[in-house]
Amino acid sequence: MTDEQIMEAVRNGDLQQASLLFDRYNKRLFNFLARMTMDRELAEDLTQNVFLRMIRYRSSYKPGHKFQSWIYQVARNVFTDHYQVSKKKKADHMDIEKVGEWVADDNDGHTIDEQEKLLHRSMQLLSEEQRELLILTRFQHMKYEEVADMMETTVANIKVKVHRAISKLREHYFQLEKI
Amino acid sequence: MEREKLEGLLIDFIDGRLTESERKEVKELLSTDENVRVLYEQLKQVTTAMDRSAQIAPSARLERGFQQMLHEEEAQQNAPKQKQVFFSPVVLRAAAAVLLVAMGIAIGNYVKEHNTQKRQLAEIAKENARLKDDMLAMMGDQNSASQRMKGVNVALTYERADDELVDALVKTLNEDKNSNVRLAALEALSKFHQEPQVRKALIAALSKQDDPVVQIALIQLMVKMKEKGVLKDLNRIIEDQDAIQPVKDEAHSGILKLS
Repeated sequence: MTDEQIMEAVRNGDLQQASLLFDRYNKRLFNFLARMTMDRELAEDLTQNVFLRMIRYRSSYKPGHKFQSWIYQVARNVFTDHYQVSKKKKADHMDIEKVGEWVADDNDGHTIDEQEKLLHRSMQLLSEEQRELLILTRFQHMKYEEVADMMETTVANIKVKVHRAISKLREHYFQLEKI
Repeated sequence: MEREKLEGLLIDFIDGRLTESERKEVKELLSTDENVRVLYEQLKQVTTAMDRSAQIAPSARLERGFQQMLHEEEAQQNAPKQKQVFFSPVVLRAAAAVLLVAMGIAIGNYVKEHNTQKRQLAEIAKENARLKDDMLAMMGDQNSASQRMKGVNVALTYERADDELVDALVKTLNEDKNSNVRLAALEALSKFHQEPQVRKALIAALSKQDDPVVQIALIQLMVKMKEKGVLKDLNRIIEDQDAIQPVKDEAHSGILKLS
């Protein structure tokens, strides 16, 4: 069954099917939100909220629409709403000094090397939009077409923005490396 | 070449998105321009770092939380929905309002009428109690046989007898000095002879009565009541030396009819 078929079943009231979508998407959405917030516990809460909205607002899913785009749009809204509600600005919720340590106790047993720490610290110096674009296209390996569909813009526009974000990241990365 | 355009080209080169001619152009630049080569190396390093960055796994708390939430949502979905009383067209809402007002008036009138009836019934009951007191007072008037007779005649109008009335009538039947009053009391009691306490009092009265008129009336009533329990009393009357013949004859007749 495709994601879209499952979501249509959920939309028609078969809520048990939501488990399948949870299995397919929980890790990806959690990673997206964890990299956006740099807070694992908060990311878990927000991921849970994404699935809650998926069930509660299931009727807002338009049959035939790509499920991945829809669920990521829900996740982006959950993220935005969280910081709007808590009235926190980016600078308040990101502790640059601690960035890079957030995945140190990663469940998969990966050790975080210096290069990755540097990467995460550089990411935090980007604008929220640039960070989001890189998380989606590079960390989550989403195609430009998929991101363009989600953000309701053109592929060319996404491509230009991603290129600018990578350039900016490169600048921060090698500046931080010198310190 | 413009810096932004160059960087875009290098990123697409790293991602393998270039056409063959573009690839050749980039390779040419890389082999001739040291700055381009350094820029390429740096871009390659950050993009590779991002591509290789490990995925992290959420804790078991997320799965548990999801399952619990799903369970709650399902329970809520299956819970019977409360009926929502809402009339969408304005006409229906107006009709409902008119109906409510009409019902209010009707209920108000009913309550008013009900209260009036209740008050009237209370007045009747009060009046009855007063009449009964008067009747009992008349039946107890030792100085006037006519007053006692009036009292018993009032008792005759009663459809049902209560203990107080039965006691007063039995007392009159057994003890009144005037035989007409006693006969009237017997007539009143015979009306309620179906009631057990009246029946018992009438049977007992037969052994006490020595007034021939009352005795004959009582024997006739016992026959009418088909009361076989009085056979012994009837035999006693027959054997009674003081009893007059008409009473004895009535007792004989009664024994024959009841045997």
